[in-house]
Amino acid sequence: MKYKISVDKDKCIGAASCIGIAPKTFKLEDDVALVVDQAGDDQDAQLLAAQSCPTGAIKITDQETGEQLWPKK
Amino acid sequence: MQRPQEYTAIFENVEVYNEKFTHLHFELKNPFRINFKAGQFVSIKVNDDGVRRAYSICSDPDIDHGIEILLDTDPQGIGVKYLQNLKLGEEVSFHGPMGRFVIEDGADEESLVLVGTGSGVAPLHSMVVDQLKNKDDKRPITLYWGLRYAAHLVWQDEFSRWAKTFPNFKFHPTLSKAEKEWSLCRGRVTNCLQVHDLPPNAGYYLCGGKAMIDDVKKLLIDRGVDPKKIHHEKFF
Repeated sequence: MKYKISVDKDKCIGAASCIGIAPKTFKLEDDVALVVDQAGDDQDAQLLAAQSCPTGAIKITDQETGEQLWPKK
Repeated sequence: MQRPQEYTAIFENVEVYNEKFTHLHFELKNPFRINFKAGQFVSIKVNDDGVRRAYSICSDPDIDHGIEILLDTDPQGIGVKYLQNLKLGEEVSFHGPMGRFVIEDGADEESLVLVGTGSGVAPLHSMVVDQLKNKDDKRPITLYWGLRYAAHLVWQDEFSRWAKTFPNFKFHPTLSKAEKEWSLCRGRVTNCLQVHDLPPNAGYYLCGGKAMIDDVKKLLIDRGVDPKKIHHEKFF
C-alpha cells in the first residue's frame, strides 16, 4: 500500500501536531502544514499524524486502490 | 523537544466547574511519566475509529505522573461527548505531548503578556504556574482572559492568590456580557488591550479562536509590537 497524503490549507490551523508525529513528512510554512515527503516517515506515524490533526485537515488515500483511509468516509 | 508518544491513562477525577467548563484529571498508566512543556497539548483518542481531539494541558509541568485538561462543554462535539461519558477509573489513550506554543527559556522577552479566550486559558494556566512557581520568573506576567459571563469564570481564587503571592503577576478577566456590578475589564480582550499600556519588549502568547488571534495580532502590530514576539495557538 502506498499513501498519498494531502493537507487542506483552508482547514489547517497550524497546530503542528502532524509535524510532532511525522516530522519528515510535514513541515510548517506560514502557519500552514505542507507535505514535504510522501514517504518521509513510516505509515503508522503518518496515519497517526492525520488522526491527530485537530481539524481533520490531512487526507490519506491508498494510491493503489484509491480508497480514502483518513478521514474515514 | 520530546517526541510525542502514545500514553494510556486512568480517568482519575472530574470537577464540573460550571455549565461551561469541566476539569478532568488523568493519571498516567503506561508510560507512567510525561515530560511536557507548559502550553503543549495532547491528542486524545475519542472513538474506536481512531478519531482524536486535541486538548491543551492545563496542569503544572512539574507534575509528571498525570495531566489535567479544561473542557469547554459548549460545542458538544464528538470529543466532549466522549469525555463527558467517561466513568472514573476508565482508561483513555492519548498521544503527546505536542505543540510549539511554549515559552522558550532564554527568549529575549522582558515581560510576558498572555491572552486567552474561553478554554484558551488552559495552556496559559499551565504557563503561569510554571513561570511563577517552577521557574521563579520575576518578569512582569500579565494574563488577559476573555469570556462572556462572570458565571463561567474558573480558577479565580487561584489567580487572585498568585497575584498576591507573586507581585509580578497581574490578572485581567474580561467579560463581553458583564453584569452592571462588574468593575473590571468589559468587552472583548482587544478592548482591554487597546487601552492598557503595553510593556516594552514583551512576548505575547495568544490562545483561542482564529478570529480573536487575528484581531489581537492586528491590534498589537498596529500598536508597534514586533510580529516575531507574538506567539499563538489557534483553537478552531
